[in-house]
Amino acid sequence: MSGELHFREVEHTADRAFTVRGRDLAELFALAAQALRAIQGQPTDTLHAVRREVEISGVDRETLLVNWLNEILYLQDVHQESYSGFEVMAISDTLLRASLRGAPNASSRRTIKAVTFHGLKIERLSDGWEATIVVDV
Amino acid sequence: MGKQSPSRTIVKSDFFRVAEQIWELPRDFREDMRAPARLYADEALLEAALTDNSVEQLVNTSTLPGIVKYAIAMPDIHQGYGFPIGGVVATRLPEGIISPGGVGYDINCGVRLLASEATVEEISAFLGELASALYRNCPSGVGVHGEIKLQDAELDKVLVEGARWARHRGLARNEDLEHTEEFGAMPGADPEHVSHKARERGRSQVGTLGAGNHFIEVDAVTAVYDEAVAERLGLLPGQAVVQIHCGSRGFGHQVCEEYVARFQKTVHDYGIELPDRELVCAPFESEEGQQYFHAMACAANFAFANRQVLAHHIRRSFEQVLAGKVRAFDLHQVYDIAHNMAKIEEHEVGGTRIQLCVHRKGATRAFGPGSPGLPDDLRDVGQPVLIPGSMGTASYVLIGTRGSMEQTFGSTCHGAGRVWSRARARKAVRGEELRQELKDRGIVVRAGSMPGLAEEAPQAYKDVSRVVDVVERAGIGKKVARLEPIAVVKG
Repeated sequence: MSGELHFREVEHTADRAFTVRGRDLAELFALAAQALRAIQGQPTDTLHAVRREVEISGVDRETLLVNWLNEILYLQDVHQESYSGFEVMAISDTLLRASLRGAPNASSRRTIKAVTFHGLKIERLSDGWEATIVVDV
Repeated sequence: MGKQSPSRTIVKSDFFRVAEQIWELPRDFREDMRAPARLYADEALLEAALTDNSVEQLVNTSTLPGIVKYAIAMPDIHQGYGFPIGGVVATRLPEGIISPGGVGYDINCGVRLLASEATVEEISAFLGELASALYRNCPSGVGVHGEIKLQDAELDKVLVEGARWARHRGLARNEDLEHTEEFGAMPGADPEHVSHKARERGRSQVGTLGAGNHFIEVDAVTAVYDEAVAERLGLLPGQAVVQIHCGSRGFGHQVCEEYVARFQKTVHDYGIELPDRELVCAPFESEEGQQYFHAMACAANFAFANRQVLAHHIRRSFEQVLAGKVRAFDLHQVYDIAHNMAKIEEHEVGGTRIQLCVHRKGATRAFGPGSPGLPDDLRDVGQPVLIPGSMGTASYVLIGTRGSMEQTFGSTCHGAGRVWSRARARKAVRGEELRQELKDRGIVVRAGSMPGLAEEAPQAYKDVSRVVDVVERAGIGKKVARLEPIAVVKG
């Protein structure tokens, strides 16, 4: 796992894959969003001039994670923003409430088309949670 | 989600060699297979395919309900998500399934080829200027928006009419539409099944190239293998041509991700068990299956319109730079093909013509002579097939064959196929050095992102000539011409 981001890239021929760890589900989801930001080469931003609230649902924990990350891709595409602050305020296996903070005028160096279900795993570890995610680039 | 595939490493000796270029895993190779799996490859390409999970992904696709004959992979196979890239699966209608993951997020990602009246020699003095004009006029980069912003009613027209919409705006010629797969408009499109979010993403992205492996490339025709067919396509040695590689942008991504997420439940409702959640599907005739098909057709039409507007920008760029300097430079459209699509087609199976839903994920339709759906002027020749190579290497124009109709549901390969991960390419190649290397070879590059350029380095891909040789020897495509790049434009 790399430094404060707690994510590690996994070898994938055409796309990008990574594992991410968090102490609880809320942290796991927030750090997965940070990994998505890092893979796109978006800068971290401390001014956080933009704030958006989201409520996400899914039929299970895995679908919730995919829907959460794809919602971020949707918002940054439509509003031309990039996000680097992710606060998960409430989470269950099927519902998530979170806020995104970031900057207008997004500057991504790499594109992610979508977050996929391929090889998707969310596992409970003795000291937290780990997810493996493949994204289409 | 149901049955997990027993994971064991697949090795060369597991295959039965059906023909020199065809390798088969029998149906009993894994208990959840519903059909055998066939891979088109020579020995080296087969061995390359066995170095990642792509063959396991091929086997996974053979579990889809309603699959006919075999799950097929082309010689440019590589690891994707769900389907392998280079995969073809046909399901029997009405009971067979349709799978959004079998089409992918970039619905109707494809290639368009325009051929200029000018030779490479005539434009070579203006090449840098031309590349800059293409880069300026064809918006590229991550999440880029274009000049056209469509209100809902106009967007609906794009989604139903595809490239034909562009004709009303003076951005398309009749010959462009004639020489586009589905004549530029995929039937079955119904905007009713497209979400507000997809609309929001799409309304300002028509006429944009995007980023990743998408590109515009000016090429030279450096070899002609079949003079008669090349002449029919308007291709001559030494001629300047332009390839466009891109798809349905954020619109298509949104359509796919929404249906893949929704089908996570649907698949349970229909009692379908699959080894990979990305393969989720629904019976084609079910309400959910139909809704996805209608939405997918909208995204396909968005992509046809996108490449059409880009073609217009390319013609404009040629005019801006070459007018008054070069005698004749106009660009005619050779053809436009899709390589991520699910389509309703009739094929002969066991002596009977049946209706199928043919998924091509990183595979190209390659209809042979006399097939329905070909333009009148090419009906006796077959469908042009456009195979872009990796950046800096050759690309090929092929023609569809009777063999592709008999063997692969009228399908063939789509490109070179990756062998290196993007991370490996970034470690091994520096974007600036690659740009210099290409420049030293006389190739002009205009790119927004140097790491992005490095990820698409030629070393990261298989040898496209080898891939094309396999499909030609197997009889599922015939070489017509070879193209080599002289200018590359990327986001």
